[in-house]
Amino acid sequence: MAFLHFTINGEAHSFEVDAQMPLLWLIRDYAGLTGTRYGCGIAQCGACTVHVDGKAMRSCMLTCGLAAGKKIVTIEGLSPEGTHPLQLAWIKEDVPQCGYCQAGQIMSAAALLQDTPSPSAEEINAAMAGNICRCGTYVRIRRAIRTAIALQDKTISHEQA
Amino acid sequence: MNRRNFIRVAPMAGGGFMLSFSGFAKAITAVTGTTMAADAVLGDFLSVHPNGDVTFKVIKHEMGQGVTTSLAMLFAEELCADFRKVRVEFPAANPTRYPESTLGGHGTGGSYSVIQMTPILRKAGATVREMLIQAAATQWNTTADNCYAENHFIINRITHQKAGFGELAIEAGKLPPPAEPKLKSRQDFTIIGKGQYSKTLPLLVTGKHQYGIDAKVPGMKYALVARCPVFKGKLASYNAAKAMAVKGVLKVVTTKPIAGVQGPVYPYDIREGVAIVADSFWAAKKARDLLAIKWDEGVNGTRSLADFEALAQQRGEHRTDPVGFTGDENAIANIDHVKQSLRATYIFPYIVHSILEPLNCTAHFKGDSCELWLGTQWPEYIIDEINRLFGLPKESIQVHLYPSGGGYGRRAFPDAAIEAVQISKAAGNIPVKMIWTRDDDHQTNAVHPYQRMDYEAGLDADNQLYAWYEKECRTYMWDRKFPATELTTNGYNIPNIRYDFEDLTNDSILQSTAWRAVTSNGWALSECFIDEIAALLKKDPYEYRLSLLKEGREAHTGRTDKISNSRLIGVLKLVKEKSNWGQPMPPGQGRGMAVYPYGNAYCAIVTEVTVHDNNITVNKVTCAVDCGMVVNPSGARNQIEGGVVWGLSAALYGGVPVEKGRATAGNFHQHRLMRMNECPDIEVFFVETEDTQPWGLGELANPVVVPAFLNAVYAATGKRVRKLPCKLDNV
Repeated sequence: MAFLHFTINGEAHSFEVDAQMPLLWLIRDYAGLTGTRYGCGIAQCGACTVHVDGKAMRSCMLTCGLAAGKKIVTIEGLSPEGTHPLQLAWIKEDVPQCGYCQAGQIMSAAALLQDTPSPSAEEINAAMAGNICRCGTYVRIRRAIRTAIALQDKTISHEQA
Repeated sequence: MNRRNFIRVAPMAGGGFMLSFSGFAKAITAVTGTTMAADAVLGDFLSVHPNGDVTFKVIKHEMGQGVTTSLAMLFAEELCADFRKVRVEFPAANPTRYPESTLGGHGTGGSYSVIQMTPILRKAGATVREMLIQAAATQWNTTADNCYAENHFIINRITHQKAGFGELAIEAGKLPPPAEPKLKSRQDFTIIGKGQYSKTLPLLVTGKHQYGIDAKVPGMKYALVARCPVFKGKLASYNAAKAMAVKGVLKVVTTKPIAGVQGPVYPYDIREGVAIVADSFWAAKKARDLLAIKWDEGVNGTRSLADFEALAQQRGEHRTDPVGFTGDENAIANIDHVKQSLRATYIFPYIVHSILEPLNCTAHFKGDSCELWLGTQWPEYIIDEINRLFGLPKESIQVHLYPSGGGYGRRAFPDAAIEAVQISKAAGNIPVKMIWTRDDDHQTNAVHPYQRMDYEAGLDADNQLYAWYEKECRTYMWDRKFPATELTTNGYNIPNIRYDFEDLTNDSILQSTAWRAVTSNGWALSECFIDEIAALLKKDPYEYRLSLLKEGREAHTGRTDKISNSRLIGVLKLVKEKSNWGQPMPPGQGRGMAVYPYGNAYCAIVTEVTVHDNNITVNKVTCAVDCGMVVNPSGARNQIEGGVVWGLSAALYGGVPVEKGRATAGNFHQHRLMRMNECPDIEVFFVETEDTQPWGLGELANPVVVPAFLNAVYAATGKRVRKLPCKLDNV
């Protein structure tokens, strides 16, 4: 057991945990942020995707020991009011069915848009291929990412004006 | 019945008030034709806040099929509510308050929720609307005829006075309910059919939507179970010394095997296991990996999938008595008529559900009562079984309902709840959250029934389809043996159709269960056999299907719903029009078609594929749907799109390999599902209809896309694949 420090969604947290425990369970059961989901435990489905120092990571495989001291952002911290362009686009395109995978989908897409503001269709497919949606909302996720890009562009041109 | 009692007004904490429907019997009796005790209530069904907000309680299970929104729409439409002011909540399970016989109950399955709830909710909404109108009329000293409801207000036609729902609710609650409230006409709808965004969206995109797995109870511990890897095996012995040494582990207990309700309805199975109870999921997981367990594997411990399939083949090939037929049951063997025969065997295999939120349940057994927290399609079944197995009075069993991260039929069964209660009890009556890992889900779970379909067609001297023989061998039974509702669904105009059936339940090497669209998955493979007949006769598959259908004809197959040839024709024509059917394609590409009903909804699909070096890419899927009145267009389209992806996952990657009784595919690296980079473009078109009855469509598309896909693979390659998963290397 180790006493470890984390920054989650801008807040400092300290927990005494097994350093080998995946970050996912710390986020869900210690920090109480249940928007990050357990789906497979071996980085195959992407439901647990969070940002670690700005990069999309599967929190079910990342140990607490390795995540300690890093800046972690979960779906709850993606935007203060839930108004990230991707969240707005997800609403506009009415994407989810059961919704269980969607936090992970949004976090993967957010990391993609951060690195590649105007991804091609192939780049979107490649970046999102690690996130399974059992309900099969892929067509809408693709559309929502394009909608978010358009929203983002609008915001940028507005700011520039 | 005391009609005054119909709507009770009760003060709520915070200054609001609640309308609860008491003595709803009369209104509901008129809708459903059944009777109920006068004091039965639709209580806590609706509440109105001082600001006019309406809270609608969703008694059906939300698992991604969108009932939260579609049911709220049905109610809000008749109420003339502002849909933005309708909030949704998920109440605790209460079979007394929400009886199945009259109010639909909590049971959610068979794509039945909107079918069942439409008359109930429309009438309930209309009832409240008329009472609000009457309250306003009284207040304004006028007649109800002079008032109307619109967008959360009651308006006086003459004076144009307006009053909000919130202002009127208390007075409305004192009025007697109208016996026959008038329903709106379809042309006056402002909510139904207008595409409403899901009521749960803001919670879903911010991670705040709570599923069963998110339940948190004071003092709660975590549990994982090591289940017998072989179906029907038993626990011989175990050593938990190493497991107990893991920090955080509190107890190691055993769970008992239960072959649930082996009578005529809804069997399920619980495998015997050893459960770790710990203060975290991680400690429980680590400890479980350290358990040393000896299993008594029983007869299945030496059996493989190939052994089972050899047995299924024997059963499929030997002749039995028909369980249903039209025309001459022996027509297929009538050599006076049959001049040419065609035979083929199709297999829809065992497939896991892979519900993304794995099975889980939080339970607290307290000696004389118990509490459960989970997402379930059927809490009534859980209450019945806990009553039966633990001897607790039904009213002492409290089930807190959560939405689910997918259900697809799997969550209709009470096994996870029973396991969790067993563990809570064995661990000393403490609350425990039991979670299945993904490997547990794929390797020890109940699966889609194995369906072997043996087809034979007899063509007469004029190449007319004279006789159709079909034998199904299946590893699961619903209801009584050979019920009419289990008869396969062949709507084609064939003079002689025969259906044989054999039950393989006792031979199965895995427990079967409900899996999205259930038996229709195997039955719809008849659409491949139709394609084979068309190919034999060198006919276009679309034209051939039309030649077997007759406008106005209804096929009676013994099921509740007759099969309408007109509606089959309708979706076929629509899909042809929208899909480039008949346009030439380059070599290596192909287009396939299929059409099939589910209940009283109809779907036709055209799938386009490209095959290169035996690798199949699905390029485009076009769907035509006739589901009666579309309640929520966006949600309806979503269900069809999702069903297509679901069916394609089964077609490309389905099947459960079994060796020595063990399902060998563990996590998603071994059991694949379709991912975004493989997902085709999907287009969905609805048949316009004047109908005001919606038919369920959650299970409509996935059985249809599979034969459409296999037929496309044939069009592209000339190869018939008759078994899932579709592997061209073996053909």
